[in-house]
Amino acid sequence: MKQLVLDIRLDAPPTLENYFAGDNAALIAALQATVQGQGMGHLYLWGAPATGRSHLLRAACDACQGAYLNAREVGNTLPGSPALLAIDDINHLGNDAAIALFNAFNRARENGQTLLLAGDLPPRALSLREDLRTRIGQCLGFEIQPLTDAARSAILSTLATQRGLRIDGDVVTYLMRHGRRDMPSLLSTLDALDRASFERKRAITLPLLREMLQSGLDI
Amino acid sequence: MTRLQGELPPQQFTTWIKALRADDDAGANTAAPAVLLVAPNRFVLQWVRERYVRRIGELGEEFFGAPTEVALTLPVNGEAMRRPVTASAAKVAPSPASVSAPAMPPAAASSAPVAEAPRAESPRRAPAASTSAYDKTRLNPDFTFDTLVTGRANDLARAAAMQVADNPGVSYNPLFVYGGVGLGKTHLIHALGNEVFRRNPKAIIRYVHAEDYYADVVRAYQQKSFDVFKRYYRSLDVLMIDDIQFFNNKNRTQEEFFHAFNALTEAKKQIIITCDTYPKDIQGLEDRLISRFDWGLTVQIEPPELEMRVAILKKKADSHNITLCDDVAFLIAKNLRANVRELEGALTKVVAFARFHSKQITLDVAKEALKDLLNAHNRQLTIEHIQKTVADYFKIKVADMHSKKRTRVIARPRQVAMALAKDLTPMSLPAIGDAFGGRDHTTVLHACRTIAELRRNDTQLNHDLHVLTQVLRG
Repeated sequence: MKQLVLDIRLDAPPTLENYFAGDNAALIAALQATVQGQGMGHLYLWGAPATGRSHLLRAACDACQGAYLNAREVGNTLPGSPALLAIDDINHLGNDAAIALFNAFNRARENGQTLLLAGDLPPRALSLREDLRTRIGQCLGFEIQPLTDAARSAILSTLATQRGLRIDGDVVTYLMRHGRRDMPSLLSTLDALDRASFERKRAITLPLLREMLQSGLDI
Repeated sequence: MTRLQGELPPQQFTTWIKALRADDDAGANTAAPAVLLVAPNRFVLQWVRERYVRRIGELGEEFFGAPTEVALTLPVNGEAMRRPVTASAAKVAPSPASVSAPAMPPAAASSAPVAEAPRAESPRRAPAASTSAYDKTRLNPDFTFDTLVTGRANDLARAAAMQVADNPGVSYNPLFVYGGVGLGKTHLIHALGNEVFRRNPKAIIRYVHAEDYYADVVRAYQQKSFDVFKRYYRSLDVLMIDDIQFFNNKNRTQEEFFHAFNALTEAKKQIIITCDTYPKDIQGLEDRLISRFDWGLTVQIEPPELEMRVAILKKKADSHNITLCDDVAFLIAKNLRANVRELEGALTKVVAFARFHSKQITLDVAKEALKDLLNAHNRQLTIEHIQKTVADYFKIKVADMHSKKRTRVIARPRQVAMALAKDLTPMSLPAIGDAFGGRDHTTVLHACRTIAELRRNDTQLNHDLHVLTQVLRG
């Protein structure tokens, strides 16, 4: 009989502490200063997908009761409070939303609000209206540096341990050689392995992974 | 106080120092002596903080015989309004003469919160509850003529603004300032407003962004309170509308502004307008409004030339209590030409980087700090881009990346491209193999290992890889 899985995710919510900083220590320090109200003004982070932009924005908001919004959810106004307003994926801002963010910049001083923005490109390369793009260029900007493969392997092993999983070293090596090596892909494979190991009552080993690949798991 | 009176011209002393009130309770709980000064409004607070707080700290040190904390605050209308600014006399430069060129390393500057405190405090500050006259103006006390750098790009606009500040409502009405984004239009008109307020604190001044004026019109419409709206805007002595191009196709807003404009100019009240284009080029604005903009003086702000950009950076660095050497200022100014905002963003980045790493701001540190900011290329590399770049670099055909040929002149660059694809993209090794003519993932793995092994001893290959990585990353 197949064991049913109770779908409770044990992963900790995103925090600045559980973000693996790697080469991003200066960025984390700047975010920490911002959530403590001691930042150097508005912040803009950019980087390739799957480098943890949303993790960082959510973590910062959680740390100081800030508000997190994805650019796709922004209408023609933005709230003047709380003190930290995070907008993710600003490359997806529509026309009205871009003016809403422009207004948020202009009203920030009066509202006592700090903006924390994230996008996919450096300020100079963003295709947004120029009056908004230059305001983003005025922010303290950081490119999120991607992780190395060694760091990704280490994070995967740590996360597995945190979930109480024992994962063979060769499984991690196999995933790094055969699968996509960005963190969301690796984590979704870890989820799949976790579920399968529980359902089949088997340890997470290479043979289990191979069986799953044969039955259609995409890594 | 008496010492300060002796040092300053009487007018300055009366305007700024006499207006302060000392709070006796300050420092009661701390070991070091402390002085808490209460400024009547934020404008005075800002002015005193910029110009006199260090000297007060030094005099305090002489008086108490120990480093003295000087804190500035606003009258208590609620704790949320407090904006304490502290300066430890032990940390600041020894004489007022050295204020403009503090010989402080960045690490020390970060621990002296003179310039930092207000910025640090403001984001967490609750919205202002004070009803003081200055707060109602919505002016930014940081934007004054003193903090505005002048050059060929804005000297006419500045001269006009100063003249308007001398005689509001009389000299040029309206004053229409136009120019591209991020060139300092807003700074200039705030400076004008602050100057009018400084000379006449009773003047009713209002800075309003065109979008906020529009929001006011909408609110008046919804609440059927046009009478209040009209009465308020016609009661002003100086009305400043920023970015009037945002009125485009907002007919009711334009109509209300048209009437306010007529009423104010008739009453010899000053109107100041900024726009991103010359009046006649504004889209979607009624002709009767545009023609009125010509009644006064229209001045342009142009993009700043290199020397002015350098001066702007130095001024900005001064406000952070940082000495910026010429070569660093030139580096930033040469790379960011179009507008002042991005110039400031780059400077902030350099300052933050130097502080985080506890380094002095040197040319190398600045280059390192700005590496990601100045790299405008898209870092999301595709495998096709890597193949093309590597093929071009080694002067082979892109098709050879997919071919079965195994001669070294082709195989080695192919291995280099595979290794770079692994390093610079999150693609799986089988996917990389596929992109190189359907090769197995073990071939990719072999390539990565071979290249890693070879580059250790082969300096030329190591150099090639370094160059290619730089090129691909921008």
